[in-house]
Amino acid sequence: MSWLSSWLHELILVVLMAAFVEMLLPSKSMERYARLVLSLLVLLTMLSPIISLLKGDASKELTVAMQQQERSGGLLNRAEGAPDSLDKILADGRMLAAGARDQSLKLAAEEIAGQMRDQIAGSTGLGGVKVTVALAMGPNPNAPLGEEVPLISSVTVALPPEQSASGGAVQGGGASSLPSAGPIQINPVEPVQVSLEGSGGEGEAQEASSSGGGSAPASSSSGSGTEGVQETQAEEAGTIIQLLEKNWNLDPALIKVQSSGGGTVKS
Amino acid sequence: MEIIQIVGIGILATVLILVLKEQKPVFAFLLTTAAGILIFLFLIGKIGTILGTLERVAESSGMEMIHIKTVFKIIGISYIAEFGAQIVRDAGQESIASKIELAGKVLIMVLAVPIISIIIETVMKLLPA
Repeated sequence: MSWLSSWLHELILVVLMAAFVEMLLPSKSMERYARLVLSLLVLLTMLSPIISLLKGDASKELTVAMQQQERSGGLLNRAEGAPDSLDKILADGRMLAAGARDQSLKLAAEEIAGQMRDQIAGSTGLGGVKVTVALAMGPNPNAPLGEEVPLISSVTVALPPEQSASGGAVQGGGASSLPSAGPIQINPVEPVQVSLEGSGGEGEAQEASSSGGGSAPASSSSGSGTEGVQETQAEEAGTIIQLLEKNWNLDPALIKVQSSGGGTVKS
Repeated sequence: MEIIQIVGIGILATVLILVLKEQKPVFAFLLTTAAGILIFLFLIGKIGTILGTLERVAESSGMEMIHIKTVFKIIGISYIAEFGAQIVRDAGQESIASKIELAGKVLIMVLAVPIISIIIETVMKLLPA
């Protein structure tokens, strides 16, 4: 019932306003024309329930038409209005659509990456795996003549650093993974030794030097350690690739598994 | 009290124009235009008050803004066209004045085109195909 009251409200107001405006008009010669437009407005308001039923939003259409009139009107700004033609509008529309498509592809890629990560974590027990998915528009394999559909163009799985360390031997501690690590290296903080000057100074200095020099035997043992790491990583990569291939129906060539250091384990 | 001011300006301008017309008809025309613009400027604030009230009422009652906009455009076009036509008519150019009036009428009719098209489309949809 509320639409009826609002409709009546609007109708009464438009009629009142039309009567008022007719009085405001300056001369008789304009009056006939102004009265025509005003009566059309009254008619539009009377028909507004039917219009909204049959046609949709009439006021929006009116607004668009008015704006078009404003833009194309006048003697002087017609030349400026000309380049703002159909081609430019269409080009703008295409650009906007492409931007929206890129954004939706990005969102979809993030979503897929999240699902893949969950699957890997669920089936192999690997936490902290970083999955990056790249989507691209391509022809639909099921309907070659149809529209382009988003396809997964590549999947990159980065294994977490703990995995490479724990998979190998733990003998080397933090230092063992350093030789095979990638460009970003954060050296573990050396234990801080405060030595008081005095009698025990020499002994403590020796201790410090031995703990600092601990990297020498560690690096020697890291040779065998990294081999073990690489073996287990290769196994993990194989299972991950199989998993993704089976679950997502992907070409195995698209899947790339990287170790923590950034080196490609298997692709 | 503004009406006294406006009538005073009008009478003063008329007397001056009558005097000036004998000597310099061109300046008499300029004075006519100036007096007309002055009176119009006096009135424009009042018209603004009326239109502002209309707009506020319409806004508060949830009327479509595009209707109000159309009505305001009609008022504006008719005032400006009328004013210009009268100035030109005072200068003795009756034909140009009627052209200005014609332009005003056409522009008002152009405002009706989107409304007419919407109404006609709706009616056509109502009719059985």
